Amino acid sequence: MTGEDTRKTAARRVLVVGIGNPERGDDGVGPAVAHRLAGRLPGDVGLIVQGGDMLSLLGDWAGVDALVCVDAAVSGASPGQIHRLDLAADELPRDLAPVSSHAFGLPEAIALARALGEAPRRIVIYAIEGRCFDGGAAMSPEAVAAAEAVAGHITAEIARLRQPERETAQA
Amino acid sequence: MGTKTLRVDYLTRVEGEGALDLDVSDGKIIAARLNIFEPPRFFEALLRGRSYAEIPDIVARICGICPIAYQMSGVHAIEDAFGIKVGGQLRALRRLIYCGEWIESHALHVVMLHAPDFLGYPDAIRMAADHGDRVRDGLAIRKAGNALMRILGGREIHPVNVRVGGFYSLPSRTELAPIAESLERARDLAIGLVAWVAGFPFPDFERDYEFVGLRHPGEYPFNEGRVVSSRDIDISIAEYETEFEERQVAHSTALHSVVRRRGAYLVGPLARYALNFDRLPASVQALARTAGLDAVCRNPFRGIVVRAVEILYACEEALRLIAAYEPPDMASVPVQPRAAVGFGCTEAPRGICWHRYEFDEGGLIRTARIVPPTSQNQPSIEADLAEVAAGILDQPDEVIRDRCEQSIRNYDPCISCSTHFLRLSVRRT
Repeated sequence: MTGEDTRKTAARRVLVVGIGNPERGDDGVGPAVAHRLAGRLPGDVGLIVQGGDMLSLLGDWAGVDALVCVDAAVSGASPGQIHRLDLAADELPRDLAPVSSHAFGLPEAIALARALGEAPRRIVIYAIEGRCFDGGAAMSPEAVAAAEAVAGHITAEIARLRQPERETAQA
Repeated sequence: MGTKTLRVDYLTRVEGEGALDLDVSDGKIIAARLNIFEPPRFFEALLRGRSYAEIPDIVARICGICPIAYQMSGVHAIEDAFGIKVGGQLRALRRLIYCGEWIESHALHVVMLHAPDFLGYPDAIRMAADHGDRVRDGLAIRKAGNALMRILGGREIHPVNVRVGGFYSLPSRTELAPIAESLERARDLAIGLVAWVAGFPFPDFERDYEFVGLRHPGEYPFNEGRVVSSRDIDISIAEYETEFEERQVAHSTALHSVVRRRGAYLVGPLARYALNFDRLPASVQALARTAGLDAVCRNPFRGIVVRAVEILYACEEALRLIAAYEPPDMASVPVQPRAAVGFGCTEAPRGICWHRYEFDEGGLIRTARIVPPTSQNQPSIEADLAEVAAGILDQPDEVIRDRCEQSIRNYDPCISCSTHFLRLSVRRT
């Protein structure tokens, strides 16, 4: 099923995933960032929105070199605060585990992909602190502002991630 | 000897929030309770006063894993009430989308949730390090099922394309072609999956269940049939309440269903298979026998093999339906509401899902009743637990706990969403 490993020869493939449910207040911040990025990214950068099932992500990131995920988080920080995790250096802490009501959340999906040897080499997660996750609620002003900021951060992040491998090699 | 309580505070790798209590006194199990503390969700109450047309989209929200079961039981009940018959290719498409749900639900359970029990891993992630190819196969099978749900349902979670009388839009043959390709691959992988799980070590354990499921004159059941049991029940879907009742129990927010005259019964793959083995294609029967299954299997731990066999069947059936598909002229048949009561019952991945609705002359819902598979299986789960634990009471608590959790997962219980942490506390007196 998996294609040839072309990482060393082809341009680095980058995928951006906005995770969350727009019907549940600040949980929609991931899709909101994806919405802001639409049309602003280089043509070869993938952009998808994923509602709930993180296991499906494994299929989406097959053959991807670098993955950028955006999701809501609840860690006790102030609403709208932006956490950036580079999984080359950081572990995904439990208390920052993105809000999900499903059995396989993002941390599990990443762990599973790593166990299968199929995880993208680089994974960067933007987790935006949410305030309200009620069904039908609008996003909080803090999350809306953070979504705009994160869209800018990701545009710059992608420019770095698309550099040839040596220049972005892990420390 | 004295009294002790074995407690599993949070069940993992099940859909929902539940715990387990075992009370042991003088070397005997005196109580086994599956505590379901998932908050009640009041779906039946919130349906009241709403239009019949809203049922498919509302009841789909009951479950993210098996929304089709709720949608199908719902639309059949409505059509029963309004005197509507959906046949031909629309009926075939309903079977097809149900195949998708069985494939994705069973593949998730067999590979990601249940297999780790038999191979001694705490979860699928740890299992993947040693059995990566099997996990990849399981995910590929599941993906084929999801693709089917997406093409027919509009999306795989809480599909939006099912309506009373049929569908909102129909797929073309061209759109189904790539789905058939992935299903062919899934079918081949399912054959390997059956062989893999058949080789697992199974406890030597059987119980004399009363199996309950649908029985159709010519098909392995999804959407239609009579409600039958392995003892003497053979009734129409409308007569369900004459034989079965739901009771409240203090330790569960889910109702317990029983056969009025007898008590616990079993729904789901083991029951469906035992009641309908002769409705499986010869090729699937042969593979089941190769996997060590007889026409009836009473060992709940071998349910994982039956589930794998049902994945294979669903792939075969889906391929057959796609090959015979010709888009019908209309995506749905006309619907004219009337004051009436209607009943629907279909085979969810976990067993029969029974619905009853009463409508006024404008099609507004007066009352609704929904009996999901897991509430029907709860008394059987508890009876299994008592018997499983009784046989290993001399073992350490850890062993008892693991085997009991595995016993619960035999049922693929769908309480609603899974949990991550497990604590066991033992109280000795």
